[in-house]
Amino acid sequence: MKLARQAWLIFRKDLLLEWRGRARTVSVILFGIVTLVLFSFALGPEAEPLRRGAAGFLTLALLLSSVLGLNESFRLEQEDRALDGLLLRPVEPTALFYGKAMGSAFLLLLLAVVLLPAAVVLYDLSPTPGGMLRLLGLWALAAAGLAAPGTLYAAITGRLQSQDVALPLLLFPLVVPVLLGSVKAMDLVLTGDPMRQLQSWTLLLAGFDAIYWSVCGVLFPFAIEES
Amino acid sequence: MEAAAPAPALETRDLGRRFGRRWALAHVDLEVPAGGSLLLAGANGSGKTTLLRLVSGRLESSAGTLRVFGLDPRRQRGTVRSGLSLVAHHLSLYPRLTAAETLALWLRLGGEEASRARVGELWVEAGLEEHGDVEVGGFSAGMRKRLALVRVRIETPRLLLLDEPFSALDAAGRAWLAQWLAGLHREGVGLVIASHALEWAAPLCQRAVRLTAGQVTWRGPAADLLVEGRAR
Amino acid sequence: MNRGWIRWSGLAGLVLLAVGTWIGLFVAPAERHMGDVQRIMYVHVPSAWVAMVCYTTAFVFAIVSLWSGRRVWDDRLVGAVEVGAVLNALLLIQGSLWGRATWGVWWDWDVRLTTSLVMLLLFAGVLALRRLADDEGRRASWSAVATIVAYVDVPLVYFCVRWWRSLHQVQSSPDTVDPAMVVPLRLNAIGLLLVAIWMASRRRRIEGARREAESAAPPARVASEEVARA
Repeated sequence: MKLARQAWLIFRKDLLLEWRGRARTVSVILFGIVTLVLFSFALGPEAEPLRRGAAGFLTLALLLSSVLGLNESFRLEQEDRALDGLLLRPVEPTALFYGKAMGSAFLLLLLAVVLLPAAVVLYDLSPTPGGMLRLLGLWALAAAGLAAPGTLYAAITGRLQSQDVALPLLLFPLVVPVLLGSVKAMDLVLTGDPMRQLQSWTLLLAGFDAIYWSVCGVLFPFAIEES
Repeated sequence: MEAAAPAPALETRDLGRRFGRRWALAHVDLEVPAGGSLLLAGANGSGKTTLLRLVSGRLESSAGTLRVFGLDPRRQRGTVRSGLSLVAHHLSLYPRLTAAETLALWLRLGGEEASRARVGELWVEAGLEEHGDVEVGGFSAGMRKRLALVRVRIETPRLLLLDEPFSALDAAGRAWLAQWLAGLHREGVGLVIASHALEWAAPLCQRAVRLTAGQVTWRGPAADLLVEGRAR
Repeated sequence: MNRGWIRWSGLAGLVLLAVGTWIGLFVAPAERHMGDVQRIMYVHVPSAWVAMVCYTTAFVFAIVSLWSGRRVWDDRLVGAVEVGAVLNALLLIQGSLWGRATWGVWWDWDVRLTTSLVMLLLFAGVLALRRLADDEGRRASWSAVATIVAYVDVPLVYFCVRWWRSLHQVQSSPDTVDPAMVVPLRLNAIGLLLVAIWMASRRRRIEGARREAESAAPPARVASEEVARA
């Protein structure tokens, strides 16, 4: 009970800080759009290869933007050693993890609101309204899959000298299942699903989320208490 | 286990901590009785901050034993932490939160209701009447310090750890702080103060130690630090 | 631990490897379809097995390391991860050579090849993190955390790559192949395992010695006369 309450307070605090520093959040979203545009230059201007690659580009834009958001989330905590203050409050490290991971997942979900329509326009996609909702759902699953291990690793790399390199180095290989699952599933939504595979990929994403939201929650206290 | 006397607030035996090959602290023996007070004197880099971080449990010791309220601050983290407060050099404030939001967050994290009245009461105590709705990032160093200090009111610790509390304050602020700390101490809160401002800190403490390169090189009544020649 | 035993096991491992490889190259019959190329299997399959054994051991050490908080387990962890990563790298090179000879390409997004590539990146990340962490306590707990997180990922990667790209290379189990092929495979597997144990234990000792050297006795206690008691 205390855990859920503290996690909720941390989550709300992160959203408030995100709102106050919205220039930064907007930059992350712009970065996502720039990525989408760059893919058009790499594979365009014909519409066909872009349309076929759309699921992959969307997922990569999410992945690349996530690193910026996650690094920022712990830069806030390190700036004035706010993290020490929270832990000595004492806030349960587990509550801290779930609060911050939810905050990051929420931010990444927010990205979808801009990036999905942008991709529809840029890549000439024509998803049905139902398809759009499915894309949003898949995006949420992928965002959650990045946020949990991302929060664990950002807590670690936030205290390193070379944090900007360290986080993607650790995170990207780890989230290969999220990447593959999200690309495949979104592609099935966008280009049709004759073999009825969408459900398996969705389950894979959900399974990854379930595993990493629990494992990282258990490991986070060990990562954060050593200083 | 003796049931009668309360466990000392702080007790160390041969305590040491190293960073890589460098020992920031070594062979430190200290005892602060429950509700007692200790002044840590010593030059910059003599190990005062390391000692406070060890006591708070944010750092693990490399040698010796450390007991806070008779408990191991690394093993019984929750219990130890709920009994102590640390006001460190870094004040653990979020620059983009207002003073009122900061106080409300602390209150709620501690399981209290953050009513307007309660928050207002605290920012008045910190002397921030007109600035409750200003973002902390716009505060002067002294205001930030006072805001960080009133968190002690929320945490109601048995032992208060302070790292250079008198820095960044003007003369009036120091006088206010000295009086405020004396009040807390009278209420039974133990104090461990690391400070250069001996003229302000010494009168607050009963005992004192001087650290040199991570080791205790002098110990005695805190008042002696103010008497030329006795503590050198 | 009995160091003599470890040293002899290393030596025995090398002998087994030599014998196994000799049998594999000169005694075992050539495979019907693939010919002599298939003989790489006698080092390739044992590399894969032993790399997995190393990572699994590292995973167990990581859990014990976090649970006990004792640094010895971190020394053991680094031994297991490093030897695992070396075998993993060899595995990729062998797989690539084999792919070139069989499929005509150096690289193919085959399930096991892809999984071992991701696996190497994951554990290389663990080793990189160790290098970046400046404090002993952080190094130990962060390595353990990263090892656990990476190890849990391996089966997930395997399954999703298999779905992603189903270029089936049905695993051959020992009972469908010629017994003359089983002998060198088994010998090499045991030999490589012994060598790996030997290497990992050497690495553990190096790590332990490095740690000891760093934690050399704290500076002498200031003479008690100087600490005037008032």
